[in-house]
Amino acid sequence: MTTIDDLRQTFFEESAEGLEALDTGLGELTESSSEEAVNAVFRAIHSIKGGAGVFGFSSLVDFAHVFETVLDQLRHGKLAAAPQVVEVLQKANDTLSDLVAMARSGEAPPANFDADSRSALTQLIGGGEGGDHDKGVADDFDDIDFQPIRAEDTEGELRRIGLVYRATQAQYDDKFAAVLNALRAVGKVDLQADIEAVPTLADCDPNQAYIVCTGAIETELNENELRDIVTGIDSSGSWALGDAVNETAAAAAEPADALPAVDLAPSAGETAPAAAAPAAAATQAAEHPEQRDATSGKHAATTTIRVDLEKIDRVVNMVGELVISQTMLGQMFQNVQGDPEGRMAQVLEDVFLHTRELKNAVMAMRAQPVRSVFQRMSRLVRELSVKTGKRVRLETFGEGTEVDKTVIERLSDPLTHIIRNAMDHGIESPDRRRAVGKAEEGTITLLADQRSSRIVIEISDDGAGIDPERVIKKARDNGLIPMEGHLSEDEINNLIFLPGFSTASGISEISGRGVGMDVVRRNVQDLGGRISLKSTPGRGMTIQLALPLTLAVMDGMIVKVATETYVMPISSIVECIRPSASEYHSLLGTRGALRLRGAIVPIVYLAELFDLSASRETTDESTVIIIETSEGVRVGIVVDQLCGHQQVVIKSIEENYGAVRGIAGATILGDGHVAFILDAERLGEFAKYPEFVTARREQYVQ
Amino acid sequence: MPNAAALKVLVVDDQFSVRQMTRLALEKIGVRLIHEAENGQEAFSVATAQPLDLIISDFNMPEMDGIGLLRAVRGHQAIRKLPFILITGRGDRELVVKAAQAGVNNYVVKPFDEATLRQKMEAVLGRLQ
Repeated sequence: MTTIDDLRQTFFEESAEGLEALDTGLGELTESSSEEAVNAVFRAIHSIKGGAGVFGFSSLVDFAHVFETVLDQLRHGKLAAAPQVVEVLQKANDTLSDLVAMARSGEAPPANFDADSRSALTQLIGGGEGGDHDKGVADDFDDIDFQPIRAEDTEGELRRIGLVYRATQAQYDDKFAAVLNALRAVGKVDLQADIEAVPTLADCDPNQAYIVCTGAIETELNENELRDIVTGIDSSGSWALGDAVNETAAAAAEPADALPAVDLAPSAGETAPAAAAPAAAATQAAEHPEQRDATSGKHAATTTIRVDLEKIDRVVNMVGELVISQTMLGQMFQNVQGDPEGRMAQVLEDVFLHTRELKNAVMAMRAQPVRSVFQRMSRLVRELSVKTGKRVRLETFGEGTEVDKTVIERLSDPLTHIIRNAMDHGIESPDRRRAVGKAEEGTITLLADQRSSRIVIEISDDGAGIDPERVIKKARDNGLIPMEGHLSEDEINNLIFLPGFSTASGISEISGRGVGMDVVRRNVQDLGGRISLKSTPGRGMTIQLALPLTLAVMDGMIVKVATETYVMPISSIVECIRPSASEYHSLLGTRGALRLRGAIVPIVYLAELFDLSASRETTDESTVIIIETSEGVRVGIVVDQLCGHQQVVIKSIEENYGAVRGIAGATILGDGHVAFILDAERLGEFAKYPEFVTARREQYVQ
Repeated sequence: MPNAAALKVLVVDDQFSVRQMTRLALEKIGVRLIHEAENGQEAFSVATAQPLDLIISDFNMPEMDGIGLLRAVRGHQAIRKLPFILITGRGDRELVVKAAQAGVNNYVVKPFDEATLRQKMEAVLGRLQ
């Protein structure tokens, strides 16, 4: 049974939606002050206020009330949506969402928490009024002369009058809808397309479509009054009403009894043409267009339902199991004899297809637009603008791009970090910008886009970009890289992802504690994503996050090493090659290397790493999978055999066992065996720090 | 004297949580037959589709607001006498005036408990059993 606590929870969910709508609406207001946007904003705030009242969050109600008063003025055109007004509203929105968050966590807002925002709001409406209202708010409006009205006996003299409408295609016009509207205003109309009232096919004119509707109206008016209404609008005689057609209506209600309806056809419509309706669907559609609108509107309002995430996850899990079973089935089928016509293969093919569709459909249920995260960022930019004194505009694209809910939830932190960095280090001060000939207002662009099975999020700014000299100096000062040696542009840019790197000369409040970009990279990698960076000194920089659409299923390459089977995520594979023996090199101090089109690629022998064999033997069958880590480092992974590409369901081993470096998870293969999913990022690290690998290997052995 | 358990009440509010709170209050009063609608338009089609004894509607809703619904009900021959209680927020005095002009039977101010709601209902329907 639903408790008030549950409902309070629901209220907070609704409030979150309301705040989002508020954000969107206010965003639209900055561009144009459309009436629709104002109304949406007003409604959102009003709902939050109403709900807060019901659940007893008085500080929320008080503030929302002032906010609402201002919006009401805006709505009635007493206040213009000037930029400075919208700014105040946006701040009020921030305050409001803080108040909601506090109400949710159960903490009392600090004294005068909303004072600033509140006074800014009251100033907009000439001061005082919001506060005034506040004091004067009573539970009843005793000063209003309001007398409750006792309900009267509502049972009026209702009578049922039959209705028939007949027309050919040519006769049918918009008067039909007008009559129907008029009838609806005076009673309850029940009118249906009547296929039964149509003569036999032989009597139909093949060049005509016939429209026949029969039914009745329940009204307090009498037949003559009703007739006046109808003929006042449509005098063509397509309508017939009265007791004469009552039977038709009754007959229409019982389609089995078709005879009377046909018999009645000539008598009911004196002026009606020889009616027949081969196109019943057309009749239905034409019946009452405006009601159709109403019902479709109603549908729009009720086509979403709230579903417990747990329930969806249960479906996701089952689909995962189904994918596994289906793969097993496929493998068994390979060994089955006696399907000469290929019919079993055909059915199996269908099963595969449907499973895939089902998987996509279920994944789509968990998907949410990135809008909510992007909107949080716009607030961040506003707040940071104030703190840094820099003027920055946030532009967003592709907010509708849908990603798995878990990915969305974990996207907020890295994005916040990146935007903080861009605001603090990237965008220059207005003076500086003017000096270098840029617009005083900086721009940060957020873009989301789906590219095949990944979602790409790009954060660009038009600030100073990365200064390579400073980065190198800083990295050397911090002992992150050797004092000598040349680094490529990419390598320099990637230095900012190193732990403990920070180029800000002083530690600012916003960023620059040196724990930033490395955490961001870790966050993104934990999501199975990659991060990359492009910078043009003086022009700005772009950070790109490539994230998987879903975390539950992925495309994997099945590989065999000695007796074991592993899965390598396709997303990190660059290419697979089968080098000849002479192309392997054993360089001192490394695990070995491969010469690949002139470049030296470090390699990792999987068999050795996982202690499946001590030697680094390669055979003619040995294949090297070239993977690329998020740092852009290429590493070759030596395996014995490639067994093919397969969708695998990711099962966490962390939950049941613990994290193992180099292993991202496990899955169940088509043959029912469990295989580990390799973690390309960590494998890359093994190649980079061979001595570390040895140490790890000793741990494995233990 | 109407029997609460036999009353058919339509609760209209676009916010699920608030709608359910009203429902809980009604259930405590003893009302068993409760219809729900999310906005005025939906409420209107519910109200015209079956006999009801009372509409309790919020004001602020998309599609058609509470006043719009009230006017539509009052303008509809078959249901124009249907008792109508409007839910208002604190400070919505202008709204109450407007609703009174449109022929509302009574109003109730959010937040309300079942005792208040009962009292407001009884002022319209007579003492409830």
